[in-house]
Amino acid sequence: MTKRAATAAVVFFLATLGLAQAPGGKQSYVVMAPVGNVQLRAGASTSVEMDFRIGSEFHINSHHPKADYLIPTVLKLNAPEQLTVADVKYPAGEDMAFAFAPNDKLSVYSGDFTINAVLKAPANAAAGSYPVKGELRFQACDHSACYPPRSIPVQFQVTVVKR
Amino acid sequence: MAVRLSFVPQPVCVVKVLFVKRNALVFVVLVGAIIGMLAAGKYLDRARKHGPLKMVGDVKGVQAPDFDLATLDGRRVKLSDFRGKAVLLNFWATWCPPCKIEMPWFVDLQKQYGKDGLVVLGVAMDDTEPPKIAEFAQEMGVNYQVLLGTDQISDDYGNVQYLPTTFYVDRNGIIVDKAAGLFSREEIENDIKKILASSHNFAAPQTSRASVGNTLAPPPKDTP
Repeated sequence: MTKRAATAAVVFFLATLGLAQAPGGKQSYVVMAPVGNVQLRAGASTSVEMDFRIGSEFHINSHHPKADYLIPTVLKLNAPEQLTVADVKYPAGEDMAFAFAPNDKLSVYSGDFTINAVLKAPANAAAGSYPVKGELRFQACDHSACYPPRSIPVQFQVTVVKR
Repeated sequence: MAVRLSFVPQPVCVVKVLFVKRNALVFVVLVGAIIGMLAAGKYLDRARKHGPLKMVGDVKGVQAPDFDLATLDGRRVKLSDFRGKAVLLNFWATWCPPCKIEMPWFVDLQKQYGKDGLVVLGVAMDDTEPPKIAEFAQEMGVNYQVLLGTDQISDDYGNVQYLPTTFYVDRNGIIVDKAAGLFSREEIENDIKKILASSHNFAAPQTSRASVGNTLAPPPKDTP
């Protein structure tokens, strides 16, 4: 087991407790595992994996839900000047039917899912460590009801090294 | 153990014992932490399953807080406007698939029981622009009044975050029942019959703005 996987496992385990908050508390339907320090050579690009876990009772719409009225899961990243977010790759949603509409399948994420962001550093990027911040917006439901859209912060560090 | 240790030089022996003790301590702490976390999870899970029942019990019999909300066509509507009527107050949102399941039922039930004094009020908790809510309601064939929800009404009715949530308010403005989550049409109709059965007491107090308590909770009844 790699160090990153072990860290993610521990964080997800602890987060499970956070996902199981009592009613009345502000529930975190989705949590994110920490991203290790990302190294990027100036003039190159790299893919950054962001791992998320959804509470066991919940599901959230995928990035491409099946109806216009549903709120998609969207990751927004704000890169510093030395970096560019070239692409964000979402996993395909899983078509699932729920008790509230057994004949109407929805495209959702449940359990764990990973979003990949492709970052680029220009050839003249100055070496250094840069924070990338953003947020994941999603809308969660359980087997019989839905919760208002929420956002959780996303943050990781990218170290740019000279070519 | 004592015999084996007697062959080991004294300082090494002490270090070994301390090392074993430290490992044992780490093991005990780890096991304790895991048991503690599991116990906490169990407790929190139990609180989630059983906590809301008390909350729902608290809501029944409470005077429904009055409100003054805008309709989709810009009019203002108060709950107290419907004194003497049985009111089904349904919190919903366009992004809520279970809410969409209920809407055709409410349309039918409004048609069926409207003549008996039923008033269905849909409170849209969207951040969406009213025209989009109106378009959605039109697509769903909604024949009852849709009001634009606010943080104030959410707070007054116990921080309504779990959609759909429906309050059944009798002819005297008393909350007879609350349903958090999607229920069957039959259960909804039974609750409607309960509020229709109430007789209007002209001496009953006016509706107040008092909160009905925290109702952010999983469904109080079994869902279909």
